Amino acid sequence: MATIAVPLGAQAEQQEAEAIRRPALSEYLRWSVDHKIIGVQYGVSSFLFFLIGGAMAMGIRLELWTPELDLMVSGAAYNSLFTIHGTIMIFLFIIPMWAAFGNFVVPLQLGAKDMAFPWLNAFAFWLIPPAAIVVLLGYFVSPAEAGWTSYPPLSTLFSGDGQTLWALGAHLLGISSIMGSINFIVTILNMRPPEMTIWRMPLLCWAVLATSIIAVMATPFLAGALTLLLLDRVAGTTFFDAAGGGDVLLWQNIFWFYSHPAVYIMVLPGMGVLSEVLSIHSRKPVFGYRMVGLSSMGIAFVGFTVWAHHMFTSLQPELRIPFMITTMIIAVPTGIKMFSWLGTIWGGKIRFTSAMLFALGFLSLFVIGGITGVMLAALPFDIHVHDTYFVVSHFHFVLFGGSVFAIYAALYHWFPKVTGRMMNERLGVIHFFFTYFGFLFTFFPMHIVGMLGMPRRVAVYAEGFQAWNQLISLSAFVLGFSTFIVVYNVIKSYYHGPIAGANPWRALTLEWQTTSPPPPTNFVDDPIPFEEPYGYGTEASAAYLDAVDEAFSRGAPNPASGH
Amino acid sequence: MQNSRSSGPSISPAAVVVAAVFLLVSVIGINWFLSFVPVVLPEQASAESKSVDELFYILMIIGGVVFFLIQGMLLISVIAFRAPPGDTGDGPTYHGNPLLEIVWTIIPALVIVFLAVVSYNIWTQNSAPKASVNMVDGASIKINVTGARYAWTHTYATERFDPDGAQIIINSGADLHTYIGQNVDLTLQTQDVIHSYWVPAMRVKQDLLPGDPAQGGRPTQLRFTPVRVDGKTYPAEYPIVCAELCGDGHGRMRGTVIVYEDESRFLDQFYEPAIHAILNPPADPILRGEVEIQNYICNSCHILDSLGWTATTGPSLNGIAERAGERVPGQSAEEYIAISIWNSGAFRVPGYDQQMAAFGPDVMETANIMSPEQLYSIVAYLCTQGEHSDCDMENASTSIPAAIQTVFGYEVDITFGLDGDAGAETPDAEAESGDGSA
Amino acid sequence: MSGERAMTSYLDRREKPKLARPSDADMRLKNNRLGMTIFQASWVMVFLALIVVNWQLRFSYKAWPPAGVAPFDPLLPSAATAALLLSSLLARRGLASLRSGRSSAFLMHWRGAMVLGIAFMSIIVYEFASVSEAAMATQYGLTMRLMTGFHFAHALAILAVMTHVYRKGGRGMYRGDEHDSWAVEGTAKLWYFVTLAWLLFYIVLYWIR
Repeated sequence: MATIAVPLGAQAEQQEAEAIRRPALSEYLRWSVDHKIIGVQYGVSSFLFFLIGGAMAMGIRLELWTPELDLMVSGAAYNSLFTIHGTIMIFLFIIPMWAAFGNFVVPLQLGAKDMAFPWLNAFAFWLIPPAAIVVLLGYFVSPAEAGWTSYPPLSTLFSGDGQTLWALGAHLLGISSIMGSINFIVTILNMRPPEMTIWRMPLLCWAVLATSIIAVMATPFLAGALTLLLLDRVAGTTFFDAAGGGDVLLWQNIFWFYSHPAVYIMVLPGMGVLSEVLSIHSRKPVFGYRMVGLSSMGIAFVGFTVWAHHMFTSLQPELRIPFMITTMIIAVPTGIKMFSWLGTIWGGKIRFTSAMLFALGFLSLFVIGGITGVMLAALPFDIHVHDTYFVVSHFHFVLFGGSVFAIYAALYHWFPKVTGRMMNERLGVIHFFFTYFGFLFTFFPMHIVGMLGMPRRVAVYAEGFQAWNQLISLSAFVLGFSTFIVVYNVIKSYYHGPIAGANPWRALTLEWQTTSPPPPTNFVDDPIPFEEPYGYGTEASAAYLDAVDEAFSRGAPNPASGH
Repeated sequence: MQNSRSSGPSISPAAVVVAAVFLLVSVIGINWFLSFVPVVLPEQASAESKSVDELFYILMIIGGVVFFLIQGMLLISVIAFRAPPGDTGDGPTYHGNPLLEIVWTIIPALVIVFLAVVSYNIWTQNSAPKASVNMVDGASIKINVTGARYAWTHTYATERFDPDGAQIIINSGADLHTYIGQNVDLTLQTQDVIHSYWVPAMRVKQDLLPGDPAQGGRPTQLRFTPVRVDGKTYPAEYPIVCAELCGDGHGRMRGTVIVYEDESRFLDQFYEPAIHAILNPPADPILRGEVEIQNYICNSCHILDSLGWTATTGPSLNGIAERAGERVPGQSAEEYIAISIWNSGAFRVPGYDQQMAAFGPDVMETANIMSPEQLYSIVAYLCTQGEHSDCDMENASTSIPAAIQTVFGYEVDITFGLDGDAGAETPDAEAESGDGSA
Repeated sequence: MSGERAMTSYLDRREKPKLARPSDADMRLKNNRLGMTIFQASWVMVFLALIVVNWQLRFSYKAWPPAGVAPFDPLLPSAATAALLLSSLLARRGLASLRSGRSSAFLMHWRGAMVLGIAFMSIIVYEFASVSEAAMATQYGLTMRLMTGFHFAHALAILAVMTHVYRKGGRGMYRGDEHDSWAVEGTAKLWYFVTLAWLLFYIVLYWIR
């Protein structure tokens, strides 16, 4: 790790402070239409929710230390705990966290001054705090306890008022997500520099585009489903009440028509991040750029046809086979991505930065989530493990091993651009190993307890599973602890990290061709993108990067060249 | 493989060695994986479980190849392609290889087709209706499973009739009794929310869906055929688990599948004794009530120390006889208890929601049908639960029927009771009560 | 690698004339139009979701409308649909008039569109209110009220925007210029959206049995 050897005097410190002109902290607490401020607002608030949701996960694992109900006052209290854990992690952490990186990075990658609709952007963000308050208020008033999937009639005829507040909060968050996504699509399609054709667009933009298309097409179904749920709860309608001619599977159909694509909303931007990080930190172009971009779109479209695999144990038997087939098809575009990423790092010159470690961790964990995904698609086997810990394990491999590892990779990768300072790499490496092994030993054994017969969402379980659960809980505590390392690293680096300079990773995409952090208008002049976003290894790209270094020369330490 | 294309035209000997080692590790690794299969799955207690586990083997082999291929390439990359210290240069400018991309699109697609075909075959084979199901004593009977928060109830609609000509329905509570080779075909119905009936050892699972009770609910089917498991002592027991979140007590909504070695043992040890117990109820209404109450799902919500019930969803039944008379002014304890069972919405104990299912002679749910005689015996039994009783126990044989007649207008036909041969029936009663409370 | 030469070649490239960037105003209009299209494509999905609701709940019954429930009379709703279609057409004509600089014609057409819109909504309110008790006991009535009510809320909100646009138009706040009249164009497009959504509902509610 490069450190500044000469002790800094007052003058040097002042110079350093001038070198990175950061917005005052108070600006982050106010209404702002600057996409960079909004990005940070999204990021910090989502991370706070991650900590809350994570603390709840620790509570869940504590309860599961023994087969009996001991920590919680009742099974219902436990149910509401994992309900809010799931809701927070999905609606208040992962989805807005990608809005954070999308907001900060996408306009910069496009060389734009801001998003297409700055005011709408701010509005979409400011819907989140009231929505979060409503959801959390519900938790403290009379908790929703029907799981984040809220299947009626448990969520309609058999739940308290917290369920109504939960639905209201989720409604607001869905609307926020739609507004944010419209903004992304328009920004990406309209605001590229004329030199940047769609086939020269960075892959994060491709991924955000695919994600946003899913969000605008699918989230309205969530709005529809929640409207019906609210009407059933407060207006006495019977859409989900069989005694009034309603149908409980109606909810499952509409809900999963949104919520399965929502999984791709949560993981596709992570795949975009992977393409960026793997290419930049192994100094090699993305292998098969077009197929990587197109496979995002492929996943987005096929993702709309698979929803009923969540209903394999409730759907009419004859309808199950078609959904098994569509679900398996998803493996093809996902496989293209996996192999293309391996092709990207193969033969490169890999720098083991923290961002790269998390990206490699993503690759190694996501493949397990992919394999279990195909297993779950295989109908006869799914019938056995449906709604068990096997499923819990699978989606944590996808959403933690996938999305959260990508979020960490993105954090280490773009933190210098956001704050103007580098993260501490040594702490980053320690963080990675704690997270990777904590994760692996938490979630891998869950496959086994699931197959052996432990259903999900239970506070009490058969005594034979106790040893497994204690292993899982212990590992989960390690995983929980690992979060403190990155929190400490972020705070420490924000104030004391080495100055990053414009382009610490010597990356070709446009967000690095301006100061760190960028000025309020992002670029002094309209920037011209390099002819291809990942054209590493050519003389022209080296010249381009040298010219950029020269233009922004600040004598910054350069970890990319320092290794 | 890309390496050879990206960094030079020739395939280096080192690459061949690496590939060979990789192959070896994969084969050993996949074998090692497969050795765990029996450990990570429950016994194969049904015909279906064998084919499902075969599919799992196939998935493990394919998954193992993918796993070792990707982790192997990752590991090789991490070791072989790390930037040497001080090297600030870039890697080769290599944009892709259309042939390779086609290969890694086509091969997964073919694998998917293969898996889909295999899964489809296993699925159609396992879910196909069987010719003779639920064969008991030469007849195909209907076995119903009722899910209610938080208990399973199994009922057997037998081909036998009581002296009045009514069909005999065996209620075996949370236990499903079956035997090796019986083609079990369960009809599943729920009384409240969605439940999911899962027998891990049989690899079968099916949701119970709420339907309109006026139209007979929304029954779903579950089929499996128990097979012999080597080294198991019979009758063998396998857990039943609720797999769909149903509320507070979801985790303790469990049951047991009891598999007998053959049909004759099934008949001797379960079926005939159960029918006998129904045909010859204990003469003493209190004793009969103790048996009857365990045939219903009361234990899923109530505490009753005498029977070892511990659920806390509803109010405790301990000492109910001491309080029942004071609950509603002008109402006798017998009347209060009787109304609370048949017309469960009538009263609400402070601090509890109205969640209790309806019981009575003409409710929709088979498992909840309760004749006036059964009500009489259950009330008589509950009237004994307490230090003292508010019920008129001196004249129980008249006071309780009178209460039932007052509130429901039913003439209770007291053919049992006070005749004196209660002792003769006790062993059967105990056999059945054991079934009900397991 | 000769950095010197590469640098020169890069700087050579730099000398090339930059491709022209659109003006900020043009970009705003382009963004608004695309944003509106995407919003319409997105929000129509909610209406499709409600159609799915209607369609799936039909399977709860052997017949549709369920036995003992009289089917809705399509006469008045057809008149309302015609009014709404005409209203959309007038809004379109109004926009065209504004573009060609005829302010008073714009106001006249816009006024007509609003009046017909109100007529449409009045009929819908009447239809909503006159669903029979028998129908309300089944999903036939419930889904009808759900769909018309949901649509009505959108029509009402957008009518309010139209009124606002009309007031501003009356004060001469819009000129024919495309940038300048975006508010009118956007509102008209929202009104087309209301019309399209209603057409879907109208067919599902009154014609598909």
